[in-house]
Amino acid sequence: MQSQADLMPPSSASPSDPLLRVEGLHVSFRHPVDPPTEALRGIDLTIERGEMVGLVGESGAGKTTLARAIMGLVPQPGRIDAGTISFRGQVMADLGDDALRAIRGRNLAMVIPNPRSELNPVLTVGEQIGNVVRHHLGLGRSAARAAALDMLKAVSIPDPARRLDAYPHELSGGMAQRVVIAIALACSPAFVISDDATSGLDVTVQAQILDLLRTLIRAKDSSALFITRDIAITAHFCDRIVVLYAGEVVEVATVDTFFDRPTHPYSLMLLAAFSHSADLRRRWTVPPDETLPGAGEGCVFAPRCVRRQPRCTSEHPALRRLGDARAVRCHFPVGI
Amino acid sequence: MALARYILRRLAFVLPQLVGILMVSFFLVKLIPGDPAVLMLGPNATPDAIDGLRRALGLDQSLIRQFAVYIGHVFHGDLGTSWQSTRPVVSDLIERFPATLELVTLGLSLALLIGIPLGIAAARAGRGPLRKIGEAYGLLAGAIPDFWLALVLIYVFYSTLHVAPAPLGRLDIALVAPPFVTGSLILDSLLAGDLQALGSALAHLVLPVATLGFINAGPILKMTQSTVGRILASDFIRYAEMCGLPRRVVMRQAIRAALPSIVTIVSVLYGFLIGGAVLVEIVFSWGGAGQYAVQGVLNADINPVLGFVVFSAIFSLIVYLCVDLAYFLLDPRTRG
Ligand SMILES: Nc1ncnc2c1ncn2[C@@H]1O[C@H](COP(=O)(O)OP(=O)(O)OP(=O)(O)O)[C@@H](O)[C@H]1O
Ligand code: SF4
Ligand SMILES: [Mg+2]
Repeated sequence: MQSQADLMPPSSASPSDPLLRVEGLHVSFRHPVDPPTEALRGIDLTIERGEMVGLVGESGAGKTTLARAIMGLVPQPGRIDAGTISFRGQVMADLGDDALRAIRGRNLAMVIPNPRSELNPVLTVGEQIGNVVRHHLGLGRSAARAAALDMLKAVSIPDPARRLDAYPHELSGGMAQRVVIAIALACSPAFVISDDATSGLDVTVQAQILDLLRTLIRAKDSSALFITRDIAITAHFCDRIVVLYAGEVVEVATVDTFFDRPTHPYSLMLLAAFSHSADLRRRWTVPPDETLPGAGEGCVFAPRCVRRQPRCTSEHPALRRLGDARAVRCHFPVGI
Repeated sequence: MALARYILRRLAFVLPQLVGILMVSFFLVKLIPGDPAVLMLGPNATPDAIDGLRRALGLDQSLIRQFAVYIGHVFHGDLGTSWQSTRPVVSDLIERFPATLELVTLGLSLALLIGIPLGIAAARAGRGPLRKIGEAYGLLAGAIPDFWLALVLIYVFYSTLHVAPAPLGRLDIALVAPPFVTGSLILDSLLAGDLQALGSALAHLVLPVATLGFINAGPILKMTQSTVGRILASDFIRYAEMCGLPRRVVMRQAIRAALPSIVTIVSVLYGFLIGGAVLVEIVFSWGGAGQYAVQGVLNADINPVLGFVVFSAIFSLIVYLCVDLAYFLLDPRTRG
């Protein structure tokens, strides 16, 4: 197995623990009849203090499952089969319910998509932001209200004083998204996970919100795991990129190297899909080959890979280090 | 103000609703076989005397005409006389309705005290033993007839243990009832400062209230359990968990969100029990409104029956109005 040091960015030579470390994480969903879905299959990932990491991968790759596992809230009926998650040197599984709650929302916050169904319909915006600071920072009611107002200003909601007493159903999608960002950042968490935070919004609003999120996270010197299906977003957002495919990390690289010289065939396929060149898109996009044996034995990407060789279907590739802060899970990486 | 407009809009519907309810009941009651004239005059009456009485009562007119006449009287506050009691139905009901209301209100309160905590506990327990207990209780309370439970309680606590008073009305026969003010013996004896009557009234209430409370806790428990269970699995509770709010705060939010459903089932039960508690009333010789109406049905005395319908319809409409107000206060989305 690959050692953790291989996946760390070059700046992390210090002996102190990384902010977040995920090791060999396996998560599966059990079904009454069918065999379980293995949503995550041995995820290794470290995130340093102040770092922004992009997590990309298509729908069903396991991005949300990873985010929820980090939060300590694997969705039902999922369970962690193996692996550890440590946050600031503490193994999350060792913490009790109360200790986990004290971290969640305080030091480890999540920005969710489609917030209008996730906000409590009977509490005002001010109460919902206030709740978080009251319980995590111990503020009184009026101090919490003032903090909520400050947060609404920080997320640039128009007419913040009035929105403080608005209910979620009175907000537009973009405003609700800003409220959720305000809730996530209200306690200045050390680590923010943004899961597809802007899906479902129109493009201009999306860009504004992403900018806002980045500015606020940077201003608070927090780290972030930035989940998206849109690889282009990560380019001007993140320090590093982690590519997830079918529950496995298939490539890790700094943003510069990634966009300059991607090495995993799936990374190239993702980039080609966002490319303006029809030729590139055609060259890298192949329909899956149903005749190939399923995942498990060989490379999980083999059914769709343009570089597939006989070895790919018989031997599962390990996540290999390729110099500093760079790793790829492929027998025949591109350009190496 | 929004609330006042809301109430006015609701009240505008009350009158047509009342007429509709009365119309349906009138024609249904008229379907009951039995000629009041025959019953009133007894077996030895001559056909001429019967015809004369029928004409005097307006029974020879068409049903539509009879209904029009009846409605006209109702709107003048006249519900006719009962030929059995030979008194105006309004006076009979003003005496008897509070007896039923007192019994049903206390029974329902007990049902709430049993059903809501058990329902919440069962919902929280997930698949644990508490859930089984909740299910067993729901099944039992649904399967046991209320009059049977009443008879068992009488057998145990009156006949065997001699701790309950005889099931013969609302007060010891030896006692004089306090002056009639509200019709509730508890309130009236308190108003009169008559502690002896108060004690006797309370003692007589114990068994019938226990019967109604135990039986009706079943549906309340089930409704609470399923609603709270559904809400605990909802998006906004999951989000509250993600924000790391303390367990009790999350639970409070869930219960708060379940309140409208609980209010609904309570209002339905309340309206239903006014007539639905009749078997319990009969077993305890309660002399309530339900018993009065059943006597009317059995003796083709239709004015008490229709009078009972008017009283319970008005009561139900008041309850539903309160429910709408409760929704208005509980759910900001209805205030739009
Ligand atoms: N609650 C659940 N029950 C059963 N299976 C689930 C559940 N949640 C996720 N899965 C499965 O786990 C796998 C990963 O899902 P996940 O939601 O993590 O993907 P994702 O990368 O977030 O996708 P998307 O981009 O669509 O949000 C999928 O195969 C999915 O079907
Ligand atoms: S291991 Fe083989 S099949 Fe898998 S990505 Fe690399 S080249 Fe393609
Ligand atoms: Mg997702």
